[in-house]
Amino acid sequence: MVALAVVLTVVVLLLGLLVAGLLRSHADILKALHDLGAGVGDPAAPGPGGVPHHDVRLLATARGATGRDGAPGLVAMGPPLPPERDTASAPAVAGVTPTGDALAVAVSGHDHLTLLAFLSSGCATCAAFWQAFEDPRRTGLPADVRLVVVTKGPEMEIPGEVRARARPGLAVVMSTEAWGDYEVPGSPFFVLVDGTTGRRVGEGVAHRFEQVAELVRRARVDARSFETAVRDGSGRSDDPDDPDGLDGLDGRHGGVGLDGPRREAANDQVLAAAGILPGDPSLYPRSLADVFPPAGPPGAARGTGDGG
Amino acid sequence: MPVLRAHGIEASLPHGMEGRIFVRPTVGAETPYPVAHFATFPLPDDTGDFGGGAVNLMGVDDLFVVLFEYGPESAGTRLFARRGMPRTLRASDFKPYLLRRGLGGQAGTQWFFTEAGRPFTLYAVLGSHARRHALVPRVNALLAGLAVSPAPVPVEQGAAPWN
Repeated sequence: MVALAVVLTVVVLLLGLLVAGLLRSHADILKALHDLGAGVGDPAAPGPGGVPHHDVRLLATARGATGRDGAPGLVAMGPPLPPERDTASAPAVAGVTPTGDALAVAVSGHDHLTLLAFLSSGCATCAAFWQAFEDPRRTGLPADVRLVVVTKGPEMEIPGEVRARARPGLAVVMSTEAWGDYEVPGSPFFVLVDGTTGRRVGEGVAHRFEQVAELVRRARVDARSFETAVRDGSGRSDDPDDPDGLDGLDGRHGGVGLDGPRREAANDQVLAAAGILPGDPSLYPRSLADVFPPAGPPGAARGTGDGG
Repeated sequence: MPVLRAHGIEASLPHGMEGRIFVRPTVGAETPYPVAHFATFPLPDDTGDFGGGAVNLMGVDDLFVVLFEYGPESAGTRLFARRGMPRTLRASDFKPYLLRRGLGGQAGTQWFFTEAGRPFTLYAVLGSHARRHALVPRVNALLAGLAVSPAPVPVEQGAAPWN
């Protein structure tokens, strides 16, 4: 009986040690996630070494080395962005063409939209886009949208492979630097830039070009809605034949692509123009009925407050 | 500031300018030489050597500049006697009647010269003659960032490169 009690005690102690080890491991994982900005709390609070969490990326080095700040596996990727750059800025794209010429495309300073298609010659998903670009009429892009394909530079791509996929007349820039400038996570990736503001108005991944054309269409509609809402606070087009503002869009607008405080100020401007001031009850809904009021007469609820 | 570099021509582009440095495909027995286009507006893919198809798209605040190289047989001729590319143009250098294609309101200038042993012509168009005093400094900013290096020595075909 005594032996049994001793054995049970030992087993309980061992299990206790196991549970304590698991809790310790769990705590280490949570701490690491928190340092990466994925944990609970304020992700903008300084991390190890005073580096804000959103500026720190995990780099899985082969040697498993420590970062500059001494934190295991944490290093800052690349130099900090210059002060004039942010996540919506759109620098010019410069590089070489697959034939060895040099090409620079200015995406700002004019009233066109530029669609940057970041593709590679090797990815299977990109093949459908190269094929779609063979016939400009099949792209479905509006006439005022300029399509520019950006691959990585000749040091990371085979120019002959890119040349074989690009139809004559298609603007193709080979520039690894542009991939860094636009923080491209992989191919295919698309960025839409408004030339008037020089800002990115849309970006994302797609598997078919129809999805990209839809992204462009939405961005243009958003731009028009914002412009109209700012002008008269209604959010509606002036054209009775085009109440949603889908036709004749020119891509000019004042707020799309803004970032940070400027975006907040632009939103405040739209709300104020619509008569919604700080403290307005509509800003503090208490039920779904406050957000989605019962349907009234036809057209009574259209076009208000959707432009921000 | 984007930098273009090809065919022995280098250009540091001022903000808002785009450009291309290219050699057209050989047709028949002709030998094409490098051409550089610079503009403040989106350049069409099929722009002619001296701006055909592009200058008609210019706004009043736009610029279009061409650097066009001629064959080496032109070097040393009187037309290309000027040494070095003009780097500082004056507003008075631009005339409406110097345009290759006379479009109302525009003004142009053209210079022939030899730089790094290579014969070139520089052709620049302003979107508005009336605004030349404001636009010419932008042309000069572009010219300040242009550099030409000597033409590469052609490799003789047929000989093994290690001999």
